[in-house]
Amino acid sequence: MSVLIGGVLLGAGVLLFVLEPVFSGKSAPMYDGDDVFDEGAARRRVALTALRDLEYDRATGKLDEDDYGRLRTELSREALEHLGDEGDGGRAGGGARGGDRSSRALEEEIAELRRAIREGMECGACEHLNRLGAKFCARCGEGLGGGGE
Amino acid sequence: MTILGEIALWIALPVALWGTAVSFAGGRTGRGDLVLSGERTVHVVTFLLVLVSAGIIAAFLGNRYEYYYVVNYSNRELDTYFKVAGLWAGQRGSLVFWTLLLSGFSSVAAFVNRRRNREFMPYVSGTLLGILSFLLVVLLFADVNPFERLGFTRFNGLGLNPQLQNYWMTIHPPTLYLGFTAFAVPFAFAVAALLTGRLDSRWIAVTRRWILLSWFFLTIGIVFGMRWAYEELGWGGYWFWDPVENASLLPWLTATAFLHSIQIQENRGMLKVWNMCLVVVTFLLTIFATFLTRSGLIESVHSFAENLRIAYIFLGFMGGMAILAAILIVHRLPSLRAENRIQSFLSRESAFLFNNLLLVGVTFAVMYGTLFPLITEGFFGETRNVGPPYFNRVNIPLGLMLLALMGIGPVIAWRRASKRNLRKNFTIPVAAGAATLAALLAAGVRHGMALATFSLAAFVMTIVVAEFWKGTRARARIAGEGIASAFRSLVRRNRRRWGGYIVHAGVVVVFTGLAGAAFDTRVEQEMTPGEAMTVRSALGSEYRLVYESLSHTRPRAAEDVQENDWRWTALLTAYRDGERIGVLRPEKRFYPVMEQTSTEVGISSSALEDLYVIPKDMETGTDRATFEVKVLPLVPWIWYGGMIVAIGTLVGLWPTRGAPVPSAARERTVRRPVPAGAAG
Repeated sequence: MSVLIGGVLLGAGVLLFVLEPVFSGKSAPMYDGDDVFDEGAARRRVALTALRDLEYDRATGKLDEDDYGRLRTELSREALEHLGDEGDGGRAGGGARGGDRSSRALEEEIAELRRAIREGMECGACEHLNRLGAKFCARCGEGLGGGGE
Repeated sequence: MTILGEIALWIALPVALWGTAVSFAGGRTGRGDLVLSGERTVHVVTFLLVLVSAGIIAAFLGNRYEYYYVVNYSNRELDTYFKVAGLWAGQRGSLVFWTLLLSGFSSVAAFVNRRRNREFMPYVSGTLLGILSFLLVVLLFADVNPFERLGFTRFNGLGLNPQLQNYWMTIHPPTLYLGFTAFAVPFAFAVAALLTGRLDSRWIAVTRRWILLSWFFLTIGIVFGMRWAYEELGWGGYWFWDPVENASLLPWLTATAFLHSIQIQENRGMLKVWNMCLVVVTFLLTIFATFLTRSGLIESVHSFAENLRIAYIFLGFMGGMAILAAILIVHRLPSLRAENRIQSFLSRESAFLFNNLLLVGVTFAVMYGTLFPLITEGFFGETRNVGPPYFNRVNIPLGLMLLALMGIGPVIAWRRASKRNLRKNFTIPVAAGAATLAALLAAGVRHGMALATFSLAAFVMTIVVAEFWKGTRARARIAGEGIASAFRSLVRRNRRRWGGYIVHAGVVVVFTGLAGAAFDTRVEQEMTPGEAMTVRSALGSEYRLVYESLSHTRPRAAEDVQENDWRWTALLTAYRDGERIGVLRPEKRFYPVMEQTSTEVGISSSALEDLYVIPKDMETGTDRATFEVKVLPLVPWIWYGGMIVAIGTLVGLWPTRGAPVPSAARERTVRRPVPAGAAG
C-alpha cells in the first residue's frame, strides 16, 4: 500500500513539475542573454589568434621573415574582412571609407598585439592583451607581474 | 526501493516522450513554456533514472533473487562492491546505466545552457530526450526489463562471471560509458544546428569541451580496459582485437579525427560537411559499441551474451538516425559549402586531412574485421574470423603513418609551407629519428615494425620537446620570466594547443610501449617448491624466480558454500640481476556457484619492463606447479603514456577565465534575437 502511495506521489510530483510551465505560462528564455555568440567575432578571434601565433612562431624562430611576411599578409586580409563585418553590424560589405577604417583598426590591432607580446602585457590567465603600463588585467583583474611599467 | 525504481522506470517513458514532443514543438513555434517544460523533463528523467538505478542496486544488495537480472549476475557470497557494480554487469543493467549517464549529461547540458545558446536548446533537449525515449522503450518492451520477476524466489543467485570479479570491473565500464554517452551532447547540438540552419562555427565552439570530455573518458576507458585484460585474461597481452574492444576503439578513432578536423573548420572554414558526418558517425558508433558489448551479436571474450533481438532493434535505430541525419545534411548542403580550398599539399590543413583519412581508414579496417564473421555468415553461411594477424597487418602501417603525422602536423605552416619552413623545423627531428634508427641497428635490432616505431617516436618526441622548449624560451625572453614560470604561462595562454602537444607526447609513449611487444621473452617450466627458474629479458636483465610454496583455501562441501571462490596460491620470490625485487602470488581460482575457474597472474613491474607469471597447472598433493613466465619490455610505458594523454586532455579541458578573445574582437557583439519564431 505504501509503495502504491509512493508511486502515486512520485507520478503526481513529476506531472506537476513538468506541466507547470504550460499552465502558468512560465517561459524559458528564447533569446540569448549577455553571452551572445557572434560569428563575426568568432572569425575575428580566430584570425587574430592566428596572427598572435604567427608572432610567436616568428619569435621562436619557426618562421623566417619571408614566410612570416607572406602569412601575415594573408591573415591580415582575413582579419580585415571580419573587421569589415563588424563595422557593418554583422553584414558583409562596406564602402571604401569603411574599408579604410577597418584597415586602420587592423593595423592598430596588429601593432597592439606585437607590443603586448613584446612588453609582456598579455594576461597569463585570460590572454587579454592589456594597455601598456597596466598593472592588472583589464578583464579578469589578474596581476600582470613585472611587465607593467 | 526496488519497487519504487520499477515504478520510476514506467513513469520515465511517457515523461520523456512528452519532453521530446514539447521541446521540438517549442522550438518550432517559439513557445517558451513548452521549451521550459521540455527542459524540466530532462531533469525529471534524470531523477527517475537515479531511482531506477538505486532500485536495481538495492535488489542486488538485498539478495532479491526473485528478479531474473539479480539471479543471473549475483550470489549471496559476492563482495558488496561487485553487487553495486552489478548495475552494469549484464545487458539489462548496462542499458539502465547507459541511459542514466546519458540523462545526467543531458541535464548538465540543459543547465549550463539555460541562458545561452537558446536557439539551439529546444532541439538539443528534444534530440537527447528522443534518444532517452528510445532507450526507455527498449528497456520496457524488448525483453530486457531489469525488474522482470521469475515467478518464484531462488535461495541463491547464479553468481557473477569470474572474469568480471576484478576491481577494474568497477572502473572500466563506467569510464567507457561516460565517454559514449557524453558524445550524445555534441551530436544533439549538431542536429540542432542542422535544424535551425545556424551552421557557422557556433555549434563547434559550444561543443568543443563536450567532445574533449567524451574523448577523455573514451581514452582512459580504453586504457583501463587494456589494463584489465592484461591483469585478468592471463595471457600477457592487453589488446586482442576482440569485437567489443574494437567497438570501443571505433568511436575513439572517429572522435579523434573530428577533434582535428574541427580545427580546419574553425581556422579555414573548410570540411563542414565532413565534420557533420564525423559527429553523426561517432555518435552512431557509440550506440554500436554499447549494444555490441552486451548483445552477443558477435562472439567475444566479453560475451556474457543474451538477447540477439535487442541487437536488431539497435541496428534499426542506428539506421533510422543515419537516414535522418543524412537527409538533414543534404538539405543544408548549400550552407555547408567550404569557404576556402587547400592551397598546398605541404600545409597543416593537408596534414590534418591526411590524419583524418588515415583515422577513417583504420575505422573501416577495424569495422570490416569486426563484422567479418557476420558478413561471412550472411554471404557464405559459415562464420569466419579474421583474427589479430589481419588487424595488425592492416593497422600497424596506418598507425605508423599517423604517428609520423603527429610530428608533422603541429609544426608545418598553415596554408602553404615553404621549403625553408620545412628545413628549419624538420632537420633536427629527422636527424633524431635517423640517429635512433642507426643506434638500434647497431645494437642488433632487426624487427622492422619496432625499428620504424622507435625512429618515428624519436622524430615526434623531438618535435614536441622542441616546441615546448622554443615556446618557453621565447616566453621567458619576452616576459622576463624564469623558465618554470614561462612554461606555466605558455601552457596557460593556449591550453588547447599545449594540451594537444602533451597528448601527442603521451601517444608517442604508448606507441613505444606497444612496440616493445617485439622483444617479449617467454619460458615455461614445471617446478616443485624450492626450485628456481631463470629468464633473460631482451633489455639485458636476468630474472630468477624461486618457487617457495603452494597454499590453498579449504574447499567446503558444495551444499555448504560459504566462499565465493576457492584459491590455490603459489608463492614465488623474484630476483632481477641477483637483487630481490619482491614476492609474486599467482593464483588459480574456482568459483563453485558458477563452476568456473580463473587464472590470476603475478606481475612485478619496473620502469622498463614487466615480469609476468602465469600459473598453468597446480597439483595440491605434491605442490608441483607449472609456470609460464614472460618478460614484457616497455609494457609499463603503455600505462605511463595513457596517463600523459589523460593529463594533456585535462590541460585542454581546464576552463580559462574569460574567453580568449583579443581585445579588438571583444565586446562588440550585438544583442540579436533568435530568427526562427522566437516569441517570448
